[in-house]
Amino acid sequence: MRVLIVEDDALVGDSVRRALANNGFAVDHVTNAEAARSALQAESFDLAVLDIGLPREDGMQLLRSLRNRGKAIPVLMLTARDGLTDRVNALDVGADDYLTKPFQVPELVARCRALIRRANSVTSSQMTFGGLQLDLPHKEAKVGGEALDLTQREWAILECLIHNAGRIVSKDKLMSSVTDWTDDLTPNAIEVYVSRLRAKLGQAAHIRAVRGMGYRIDEHEK
Amino acid sequence: MPCVAWGTESMSTKSERVPSVRRRLFALLLLPAIGVLIAGTLSDYFTAAAPFREAYDQALIDTAIAVSTHVEVDQDGKPKIVLPPDAVSILRADSYDSIYFRVSGPDGRFIYGDEDLPELAPRVNNPARGDATYRGEKIRLVSYRTLGPAGAITVSVGETLHKRDRARRNILTTSLAVDVAQLGLVLAMIWFGVRVALAPLQNVEAQIAHRSARDLAPLGTASVPIEIRSLVSALNRLFLTVTQTSAAQRRFLESAAHQLRTPLTGLQAQLELLADEEAGSPTQPRLLMALEGARRLGHTTHQLLTLARSDQAANLNWELVPIDLPSIVETVITDRLTAADAAGIDLGAEIEPASVRGVAWLLTEALGNLTNNAIAYTPKGGSVTVRCGVREGAPFLRVTDTGIGIPPEERTRVLERFFRASNTRGGGSGLGLAIVNEVAQLHGAAVAIDAGPDGKGTAITIQFPVPPGAPAA
Repeated sequence: MRVLIVEDDALVGDSVRRALANNGFAVDHVTNAEAARSALQAESFDLAVLDIGLPREDGMQLLRSLRNRGKAIPVLMLTARDGLTDRVNALDVGADDYLTKPFQVPELVARCRALIRRANSVTSSQMTFGGLQLDLPHKEAKVGGEALDLTQREWAILECLIHNAGRIVSKDKLMSSVTDWTDDLTPNAIEVYVSRLRAKLGQAAHIRAVRGMGYRIDEHEK
Repeated sequence: MPCVAWGTESMSTKSERVPSVRRRLFALLLLPAIGVLIAGTLSDYFTAAAPFREAYDQALIDTAIAVSTHVEVDQDGKPKIVLPPDAVSILRADSYDSIYFRVSGPDGRFIYGDEDLPELAPRVNNPARGDATYRGEKIRLVSYRTLGPAGAITVSVGETLHKRDRARRNILTTSLAVDVAQLGLVLAMIWFGVRVALAPLQNVEAQIAHRSARDLAPLGTASVPIEIRSLVSALNRLFLTVTQTSAAQRRFLESAAHQLRTPLTGLQAQLELLADEEAGSPTQPRLLMALEGARRLGHTTHQLLTLARSDQAANLNWELVPIDLPSIVETVITDRLTAADAAGIDLGAEIEPASVRGVAWLLTEALGNLTNNAIAYTPKGGSVTVRCGVREGAPFLRVTDTGIGIPPEERTRVLERFFRASNTRGGGSGLGLAIVNEVAQLHGAAVAIDAGPDGKGTAITIQFPVPPGAPAA
């Protein structure tokens, strides 16, 4: 997986490069918008990590011009500012996620992975999540080549959780993902489905209950 | 209530009355008006009383003249009155007053009538008029001197004052009634006039009173009366200065944030990576210590910047927008699940729909600080619950924990900057709750610190005001 880092600060740029390289990403590092533009034209990347505070043309302008020219590459924005306006602007302009400095290295790596996975799930029918291989059109999940015996509802819950990986999914949302109009499901029923699903997944992925809020799936137990 | 820049201070600090243009105008117009009306009443009374007095006197004189025509000469050449008894009773007949009369001869000798009735000496004026007392009562008296067939005689007619008193009272009552009505009318006109005249002033006052304390848009000057135009212009200049200062402060803080955070990020990340690479080597513990120091520095920097930016002065330009509290709770919980898991704490939520007008990132910071504290000061195996909802119409955010709690006597002090409760340990900055307090104030909310359920741990609530227009159920 190839990542382009656009960051003018040498110290930050180097640490992001090392962090991603240590985690198996192929990394290119440029320090300004023009270099980023030519790199993106010349090569293909799976993800761009883009600092907002670049010299001359800032990250926001670069992203806008990329999106205007139809570049669909996933973008993680980095910023040293904390106002929500920045976040909203970044997402409006077309950033896929947003990370405020200072961040912790594992957080950065996890966000990059999630963005690439999400982009892949749109373009391909196969994806991996933790120890799971997922075949989306056939609604099939495998662990180590072995297909799991999932009911339709269990699959729907798994798909909904993985689609929102790293985020908490409320019981309401899970309910609406498994029910059609004729059904009415209780939140308790969701708990039952989740515990069955958990048993079937074993160590391949971890579904964590968050009291009062819902569930979150992680690739492995944190 | 939105606070109006002028006048409020003197209103609250001084006990004397605040000067009011309207009151002054009322006083200055009303007092002379009342004076004029009192003078008018008096002059009405006197001008109306004089003709009455004249008419009553004239009636007495007529009576005296009528009596004088009945004087004849008796066989001794002395004057005598020839009046039939009926005529005398007609003369004395009056429904209100007693009428007395006396006729005396040229030598003042009594001829007829009431012998002891006093007599005036009509020398200068004939007939003469005057006041006298007769039989213990005040009377009006006229004396008429005429030359009859038996020489000069004087006819005096006296009358008690009941009729006159009554007439005077009537005049007084009527003119008072008319004048009081006039006074009322004038009062109403002055009241109305002053109100209408001061309406433009009140418009400006209302314009200022109804705007939010954070609204710094210039006041419209089109309809401002000339008398206070320079005042309004001065206010507008002040608004502009405050806006510019606030914007400058904000720009400074944004740039400071950027300049401080960028190297801290690099430093922290490099130390993190180095510590990973040096796993197992003797330098790793030192790298981890340096990393911990860098994190603390980063945390304090972030807290200080947040505190500075949550300050009212730096926030005049923040747009307060509707914010869904459940989404804030969700963000805060999501960001802290890992830390809670690491500390062995059950982090959960109790979410009910609620929304406020505010600044989302500041509320997220405040609730995040409360949650961080709760996680930090709750022993392993405890629980932290983040709540949002509405009680009696007022939205709230609350974090409860089963931790060590805050001693009751320190509960107000922990909201101060850099104050740390006596039972805390470790490396907190002492700014977390100060930020919560500032953010709450910015939103017009109050921070309440209580013991948690069962009297253990801590429950900290950010209690927002009842939104305007909402039923206070």
